[in-house]
Amino acid sequence: MKRLVQLTVIILGVTGLLYIGSLYVDRSEGTASSDTLNIFNWGDYIDPALLEQFEEETGYRVVYETFDSNEAMYTKVQQGGTAYDLAIPSEYMIDRMIQEELVLPLDHSKIEGLEHIDPAFLDLAFDPDNQYSIPYFWGTLGIIYNDKMINEDEIQSWSDLWNSEYNEDIMLIDGAREIIGIGLETKGYSLNSKNDEELADAFELLKGLAPNVKALVADEIKMYMIQEEAPIAVTFSGEAADMMWENASLHYILPEEGSNLWFDNMVIPKTAQNTEAAYAFINFMLKPEIAAQNADYIGYSTPNQDAMALLPEETISDVQFYPTDEMMENLEVYENLGYEYLGKYNDLFLEFKMLRRD
Amino acid sequence: MKKLKFSWSNAYLFLIFALLYTPIIYLIYYSFNQAGTMNEFTGFTTEHYGSLADDTRLIRIALDTFRVALLSSLIATIIGTLGAIGIFFVSQRKTQVALLGLNNVLLVSPDVIIGASFLLLFTMAGFRLGFYSVLFSHIAFSIPIVVLMVLPKLQEMNLNMITAAKDLGANNWQVLKSVIIPSITPGVLAGYFMAFTYSIDDFAVTFFVTGNGFATLSVEIYSRARQGISLEIYALSTILFILALGLVSGYYFVQKQQRNRKRKLTDIDSANHQKAVSP
Repeated sequence: MKRLVQLTVIILGVTGLLYIGSLYVDRSEGTASSDTLNIFNWGDYIDPALLEQFEEETGYRVVYETFDSNEAMYTKVQQGGTAYDLAIPSEYMIDRMIQEELVLPLDHSKIEGLEHIDPAFLDLAFDPDNQYSIPYFWGTLGIIYNDKMINEDEIQSWSDLWNSEYNEDIMLIDGAREIIGIGLETKGYSLNSKNDEELADAFELLKGLAPNVKALVADEIKMYMIQEEAPIAVTFSGEAADMMWENASLHYILPEEGSNLWFDNMVIPKTAQNTEAAYAFINFMLKPEIAAQNADYIGYSTPNQDAMALLPEETISDVQFYPTDEMMENLEVYENLGYEYLGKYNDLFLEFKMLRRD
Repeated sequence: MKKLKFSWSNAYLFLIFALLYTPIIYLIYYSFNQAGTMNEFTGFTTEHYGSLADDTRLIRIALDTFRVALLSSLIATIIGTLGAIGIFFVSQRKTQVALLGLNNVLLVSPDVIIGASFLLLFTMAGFRLGFYSVLFSHIAFSIPIVVLMVLPKLQEMNLNMITAAKDLGANNWQVLKSVIIPSITPGVLAGYFMAFTYSIDDFAVTFFVTGNGFATLSVEIYSRARQGISLEIYALSTILFILALGLVSGYYFVQKQQRNRKRKLTDIDSANHQKAVSP
């Protein structure tokens, strides 16, 4: 009995020490101010040095938490019990959150620096007049290939993927709208098609792609491509930038037919407790030099046109990541399809996944 | 010491341990990789350990993880031990079986369900997600484990000792303190260690109930892994592995010491016993 009591006291002592330790780490991390800003962002999606700079400039203490999918973020915000002041979801999720009133309308009088953003990225269908969200990064869906196995210029468009030489060579991203979108795009239809005939057409075409598919994978694509497990993959531009950083043989192509244009925007969820700090952070990220530093670190495309001027020439002259206006015209943003058509896309994708290869 | 001779059973044992330990050794090896990726080993460096020391968020999370684990298993051990004693002394066999059954259901039900139900409970009660929500849920899923570890020790206990103690005028508290607890101490300690390990490596339940900047290592590593695991995580894993190794060997030495002491005690005991029975 005595020994158990002793052990209990020891454990409580260690727990106390750990608590003091974490307090100490907290203190050394930032200013002692109790004014905190809770940010909920994708993992590894900001230059950590910027968070420190923000803390120094404004005196707010940043609590930074990460999520791995829009859906996970949505659940945490919707369930409540959290106090995120700022989140960075993708455009289709913002659309859904606006409809379910999970985000707060922005007070534009408190936002400075919106003029730095390229007008092409403002006032889009998912958030008219940017009432709820401010662009953070944007990108496209495209093809990445390894020049050790595929000749340069061999792939220019989606239709090149059907080449019979690429038997079991292609890794596809595991997403219904992305894959059905490839079919629609190749056929010249809209990515947001709500026409059953067009969808059936696109699916027929996709059937022919099945023999070339090596795997349908998600985030692992990055690792596989770096390790040269497959010569070709369909992936997002930001992921592609990461891969090219690791393996110089990889190249990203924005297909000629056009592609999906996606956004990750900053929003203030309804769980926010410190909206002042959230506005301060939005204004901070809108500053051209800050946006440029962040884009340089992450490798995604920045919507901040004044920041682009500060980026290295070779970065912004890369048309695969900063497409010309002409190419931009072929890009389409996902619109909310509604339950019925989202279901149809998912069903078609499931059918595509189940196709037999003999 | 006898020289180890080749036998199929030894070869089998070696193979199993090799299979279990190779991935960990591989991980430790790559935590010293200069290249920053798993692709190839280019040179030795300790820079990942350095950047680990700079990553205050990760250090904080590691401290928090241990704090939750130590505290939750302590409270769960206290509640679980008392619960096990309670279940053991239920006089009706049927009620006892029913109570044990309820305990075991919690043990076998999937973590995901437990986690989701805790999330529901906490949000319905308007409870803020964070340190306390994680602590409470860890206590809750650790209690059945402790009960299960303590019960066999209770069953091994000589019930005559309790009768004897009561005959000698001990009250209930004295019986608990001087008879029951000493004889179940190994079970209580084992329960504590089991609860501790469960709490440290739990992912599913914790994933649901974290929030507001609080996270445990398993949840943090998972969300970082989606972006490709950085070698910093390997460095952290290596440190944790060595820590665990230290704990296990520490536990081994403590046990060995105890066994030696016990052996001495029983020597004396048996002598006394002999004296007592032979007139």
